[in-house]
Amino acid sequence: MKQLVSAPVLFVGAGIFLVTGLLLAFLYAPIDASTMGYSQKIFFYHAPIAETALVAFGVAFVAAILYLRSQDPRWDRLGVVSVRLGLVFSLLVMATGMIWGKAAWGTWWDWEPRLTTFLLVCFLYVAYFVLRSVVEEEQRRATFAAVFSIIAFIDVPITFFATRFLPAGMHPTVITMGGTGMPGSMFVSFFISMIGMTLLLVALIRRDLAVEELKDRVADLKNSIGG
Amino acid sequence: MAILRKDLIRELRTREMIISMILFVLLAMVIFHYAFSVKEDADLTYFTGGMLWVTFIFAMLLGLNRSFAQEKDERCLDGLLLCPVDRVTIFLAKTAGNLVFLLIIQVVAVPVFTLFFVSRSYVGDLVPFLIVMLLADVGICALGTLLATISMNTRSRDLLLPIIFLPLIVPVLIAATGATTLIFAEGAGFGDLLARVLFLLGFDAVFLVAAYGTYDFAIGE
Repeated sequence: MKQLVSAPVLFVGAGIFLVTGLLLAFLYAPIDASTMGYSQKIFFYHAPIAETALVAFGVAFVAAILYLRSQDPRWDRLGVVSVRLGLVFSLLVMATGMIWGKAAWGTWWDWEPRLTTFLLVCFLYVAYFVLRSVVEEEQRRATFAAVFSIIAFIDVPITFFATRFLPAGMHPTVITMGGTGMPGSMFVSFFISMIGMTLLLVALIRRDLAVEELKDRVADLKNSIGG
Repeated sequence: MAILRKDLIRELRTREMIISMILFVLLAMVIFHYAFSVKEDADLTYFTGGMLWVTFIFAMLLGLNRSFAQEKDERCLDGLLLCPVDRVTIFLAKTAGNLVFLLIIQVVAVPVFTLFFVSRSYVGDLVPFLIVMLLADVGICALGTLLATISMNTRSRDLLLPIIFLPLIVPVLIAATGATTLIFAEGAGFGDLLARVLFLLGFDAVFLVAAYGTYDFAIGE
């Protein structure tokens, strides 16, 4: 991949956006009028992380399709890296979601559609790594992982839809068909945090890819000297 | 077709799987009875839908593992792969075979569970019930066959299948359990079930297409 922007620049950019988003969230966006009050501020972290996790799995999905078409190990590497980061972000979603849940609803866990979906997402993508760990042959591992990654990503919106069937969700529906339902100042802060988080993901993917590439090269070199 | 016939004939000759599955279902019923009868004269009608689908999914796990373990152990799969048929045909035949297997389990399980656990008659809702069951079955079998093919080609084989199968099948479980519970407990009309039926239909369509697209890769070279 071409180096359009170097990784450090991306990290710094992500940092700037995230800090700005956070400052705006506390100084500019209004304190939530409902009972949540200050605890609602975690939204400016929680939602961008969730969005970023999904973006990461989306990247893995695209990489999987490209891998199956080309059998090029580079796409497999991109797949692993994005799934791993997506999983980390998903765990963060669960953690921040639970903290928020405790503050807003008085309970750490609730079988609410979005939280439940992310729980299943975590299971799914942990399974992805279990699957990878039990296939020795490299090409086969990459192929199976790609197939699973495609199936899993298709399943995510379906799971979300299905969990919505269950009655009595108490998650605030912030973004609906009719608009965001947020005051402008809140939306700006949220949007900046979202850009920051996405940039962070890109930067992390970039860095992890480099690491994986080095690992592969080390393995190749080791093989070539008969180690 | 021939593959399906082969699996069926094999099954009819040996009978081992069917008999153990029927026993499995009956034992599951007994276990559920003791697990859920926490109170004297407790009415389990509301739980029957859930019990049934849990039984089906776990029975399916066993069935899926076996349907490919045989192929693998006797190296039949290699023979199948050499056949001049589309890989997708193999997928469809295997899915159909698993579907037959699941249906046989259901033919046994549904009356028994109904007899022991459901306190009201749902004969009037039999048609929607069968539709829900069939749609959910297709989803379970299609996805299960695809994933079983993958897991059979790995080192841990049958250990892997539940880990990759269960999280993916949750949507079907939610929809099917919801629908059957409505039917058992409240006598839902078709209108109440429509959303779930459409959902199951959509699930089946999506995963049949997804399996169609990826099965070539899943079955390996």
